[in-house]
Amino acid sequence: MLRAEPAPRVLTVTQLAALVRETLEGGVGRVWVAGEISNLRPAPSGHVYFTLKDEQSQLGAVLFRSVAQVLAFRPADGMEVLVSARVGLYPPRGALQLYVDTMEPRGLGALQLAFEQLKARLGAEGLFAAGRKRPLPRFPRAVGIVTALGGAVIHDMRTVLRRRWPACRIVVRPVRVQGAGAGREVAAGIEDLNRLGGLDVLIVGRGGGSLEDLWAFNEEVAARAIAASALPVVSAVGHEVDFTIADFVADARAPTPTAAAALVVPDREEVTAGLVRAEAALRRALARRVVAARERVAGLERALGDPARRVRDLGQRIDDLAARVRRGLLRRLAWERREVMTLATRLARSGPAPGLPRARERMAAAGERLRFALAVRVRHARGTVEQAAGRLDALSPLACLERGYAIVRRGDSTGPVVRDADTLAAGDPVALVFARGRARARVEGTEPEKEP
Amino acid sequence: MAEPPATPRFEDALAELEGLVQRLEKGELPLEESLAAFERGIALVRSLGQRLAEVEQRVEVLLKSEAGKLVLRPFENDEE
Repeated sequence: MLRAEPAPRVLTVTQLAALVRETLEGGVGRVWVAGEISNLRPAPSGHVYFTLKDEQSQLGAVLFRSVAQVLAFRPADGMEVLVSARVGLYPPRGALQLYVDTMEPRGLGALQLAFEQLKARLGAEGLFAAGRKRPLPRFPRAVGIVTALGGAVIHDMRTVLRRRWPACRIVVRPVRVQGAGAGREVAAGIEDLNRLGGLDVLIVGRGGGSLEDLWAFNEEVAARAIAASALPVVSAVGHEVDFTIADFVADARAPTPTAAAALVVPDREEVTAGLVRAEAALRRALARRVVAARERVAGLERALGDPARRVRDLGQRIDDLAARVRRGLLRRLAWERREVMTLATRLARSGPAPGLPRARERMAAAGERLRFALAVRVRHARGTVEQAAGRLDALSPLACLERGYAIVRRGDSTGPVVRDADTLAAGDPVALVFARGRARARVEGTEPEKEP
Repeated sequence: MAEPPATPRFEDALAELEGLVQRLEKGELPLEESLAAFERGIALVRSLGQRLAEVEQRVEVLLKSEAGKLVLRPFENDEE
């Protein structure tokens, strides 16, 4: 059976596609959708195509270049993401597609993820290698600083630099250290200070802040500028705990800008003390050197020995030798004399010899001289004896008695000689000894010696 | 902009001084050379000490001119 039905409305494919798209956009519109990225395909145009899926379903998605460029992190297969997207139809292929406006990683924050990704990438390139780190100059003449001009940071760094090492030029390259494009500015600042020349070391940093505030120092452009710097770079991002990418790439990392200032210059007081020590060491060493030289001279002098003593020693040896020679000679002489005498005796015994008459004459003459000498000697001896007798005579008490003196003795002639009248009393017996003979007497009385 | 170093760099002078002290302390130098080393060392101590005493902090700001040229000007944002 036929029923008259209104002719069905026939659409072109394009019309249908447009209808579906309108329905989708009107009915679903902009949504937040969570899923896992798979089959990620970056296109030369800069657009990024991928599939967003969960356990049961999957949908195609596109990330246009303008969006992909501003993402802090890089989407990758397997990554769980949250996207804000418009649901639409891509008519050329009749495919349902998510047009992604923004994308955030799930789990980690976007910045954190970006940080980890960049860190892994630059690390893989070897930019953090210890071998790339350059030593900082010990005594920089000029320090370049890349930081914001306003605020306490630059003032604090100047104070530290002036206190520790005042004879140091400072060149500040002011940059914005946070906000969009800050990383680019930091990089430009590093490049400019390298181009300026005359600097010895750079400090790149800012005061403390949140991860977002410090973001410029986690940007690849800043990291690459630090790595490319001809001058050693000290990173000084005021964040005690977390490291920034700049910290990893820099030649040295300081926890704060003031710490960086202290790191790049030595302490004048310490260096001065070192100079004082060096001067003392110089003086000590020279004094020791002089003493050593003096001792060496003394030692050599000793080794040479006292020449006078050597002469004396030699003299003594010569004396010893001479004495031995003399003794030897004497022995030889004595021996020869004995030999001669023996020979003479044998000669005498063996009868007359031609020399005998002369010997007899000599003996006679000798006998004469001996007699004469003896006579002289006897005469001389006699004279000496007489002279001595005369002197002895003069000393004898007998000679006094001969001249009329007498000796008085107490009692008899063997008693003690009386020298003092006081030792006698009237009636005492005394003996008088004369030159010839004695007399016995008795004292009539005594008179003590008158005082003059 | 780089200034040629008129005097030897501080670290070079200090390294020379340290070398002199070491050589002198070893006591291997002939006496004459010891004396020369000592005199040179003392001169270095004096000149380094003088440089340490120089209290001069020069602070400049590096700016980019309109034409993109680098320009240095003294830092004036100073509380002192």
